[in-house]
Amino acid sequence: MKALAAALLVFVAACGQGKAIFNVDVYSFMAGSGKDTIPYAIPPASSASASTFQRILLPPGFGKSIVDSVRITSGNANLINSAGTGTIGLQFRFAADSAGTNTAPAALSIAPTTVTGAQTVPVAISGDLSSTINALFTRDTLWMRITATGTNPGLTPVTGKGAITALVIRVVLQDKIF
Amino acid sequence: MRTGVVAVALALFVLAPLRSARAQFSFDARRYGMGGVSLSRDGNARRFNPAYRALKTNSQATGTPKFSIPVPIGLIKFFKDHPINQLSSDPMFDPKSTSFNPFELTNLIFNPPIFYEVKKSPAPTNNVEFTIGKNQLIMNLGGARVLIPEQDFGLGSTSRLFDAGAGFGGFHFGVMGFLQYDVAFTLDSALRRALTDTVTGIRPGDTLSLLSDGVAQGGLAPTVGFAGRLTHGADPATDDGLYIGGAVHYYMGATFGRLTGPAQILVGNPIFGSTPAAGINDTLRTSNKANGRGVGGDVGLVWVSGPFEVGVGVNDIGAQLTWSDTKLQHVTYNTASGNIVTTIDTNHVETKTKLPITYIANAALRMGTGTTVGGDVINSGRGTVIHVGVEQRTGPFAIRGGVSRDQRKKMQFGFGGGLRLGPIGFDVGFFTHSNSLSTERAITMATAISIY
Repeated sequence: MKALAAALLVFVAACGQGKAIFNVDVYSFMAGSGKDTIPYAIPPASSASASTFQRILLPPGFGKSIVDSVRITSGNANLINSAGTGTIGLQFRFAADSAGTNTAPAALSIAPTTVTGAQTVPVAISGDLSSTINALFTRDTLWMRITATGTNPGLTPVTGKGAITALVIRVVLQDKIF
Repeated sequence: MRTGVVAVALALFVLAPLRSARAQFSFDARRYGMGGVSLSRDGNARRFNPAYRALKTNSQATGTPKFSIPVPIGLIKFFKDHPINQLSSDPMFDPKSTSFNPFELTNLIFNPPIFYEVKKSPAPTNNVEFTIGKNQLIMNLGGARVLIPEQDFGLGSTSRLFDAGAGFGGFHFGVMGFLQYDVAFTLDSALRRALTDTVTGIRPGDTLSLLSDGVAQGGLAPTVGFAGRLTHGADPATDDGLYIGGAVHYYMGATFGRLTGPAQILVGNPIFGSTPAAGINDTLRTSNKANGRGVGGDVGLVWVSGPFEVGVGVNDIGAQLTWSDTKLQHVTYNTASGNIVTTIDTNHVETKTKLPITYIANAALRMGTGTTVGGDVINSGRGTVIHVGVEQRTGPFAIRGGVSRDQRKKMQFGFGGGLRLGPIGFDVGFFTHSNSLSTERAITMATAISIY
């Protein structure tokens, strides 16, 4: 990955003053690995959370670059509820290592969606990530944690899983490779 | 340092087709106004055609100035835009600046700002977009995609660094220094697709190859030459007549090296599921001693008849050097250590190299009406350049125009004028050129004072 990307960056440098834009299909790395689903089980009259995490690889050499924006441009998830009535929200956290994602503040929060009984509810995921994490995207490796936070006001457990079906992160930066 | 790396990389990868511009850089605004054609009997004519040694070079004979002094209007503007006491922090030279553009710096290197740029070629400033997935890598270089060469590209030239000597009776004895280099690169179809295809991009398991073939050799060559007049016209005092010239060189090669082979990236399958390998599998031939030997020669012919002059010169005919002590090495890339490893395959073996044949053909017609028409075809080792130009003098005034075909096979245009007052003249020439990364032509105004 690094050798390939580094070689190709010669040509990025040759493109003069401009911006480097990365559309990273994070879902393609998660699909089939089990990391694209977040099982949840929320006891009655309580709240709970569950999460999954994924490493994101970016081309090296952008350490001196300035990140203009980071945005989830195309994201979808299905909340596949098995039983119970409650709400499920999603948060996206980013850090330089996997452990850091446990304590990192949410860079993007998707408003809670109500789930009831056995049903599948699609959820659209998009929005700008907090600019406080911009610098992370100049690294060649970072970690993302998707947390599903649920509430259950009822008397029966809320169970099911959130399944990510698409997730593309768009990083726009002023490239300074050399 | 980084600036230099960027500039050199750009020059090699992208600007290679522009080598002709550098070789033909001139301070003569008159020449620029005539599309680059030179009517002088020295310079290229004498360099490539040994018969010109037998002809006078004075300006009375050819109407050309003895020499030109450039009026560096471009430098004035350049240092106004880039104050000399602030060059260290100038965004043009500072890679850390967000305004730094390697294109602009490279353009500057290939277009020294001696003359005024009337129309600059635009430096591409487009965005570059990557689409990255586990099994997908697509690059969209935007407008810069046009810079990816479709065929082989490279740098190459045969130069005579110096040619010192003396002679009598038409004979010339001397020593010249020669230097020949040629570096060619070819992108294979997979690498080209990786850089230009915005739909498929890189495929899993692709091998992306940059094929290179570079050679350089240089040394000294004792030379014996002759130039003389075979026939003359009715009035022997004129230049009319047929002139021949020839020279035999004994090449004494000082050093030689040739590197051939691919540099490769072996893409994983899936693309980001495994670590791609980098590969170099090249052969390197180098001389062990300064013992290249060979013989070659130049021939030339010039015919002058009144206002008409035509010449043909060919250099380095049969110039093959035999290097009796060379070694052949295998160059590979060790993926584990990240080092380039060189191992000797064979040592103390003989290798033969050739110098490419270079040539010039030129013609000029000086009419009594003040009109001069000229043209030349030059090949200095890599590609042919053609210039055709005309000058019309009326009293102290002159107007000029011309066209040329550069080594990129692009048509270029020139026009200009001049004012001559006795031994001093002032000339201005406008010319288009493609000495940049852009496909658009730039226009430069050359200004010079000519001394006749």
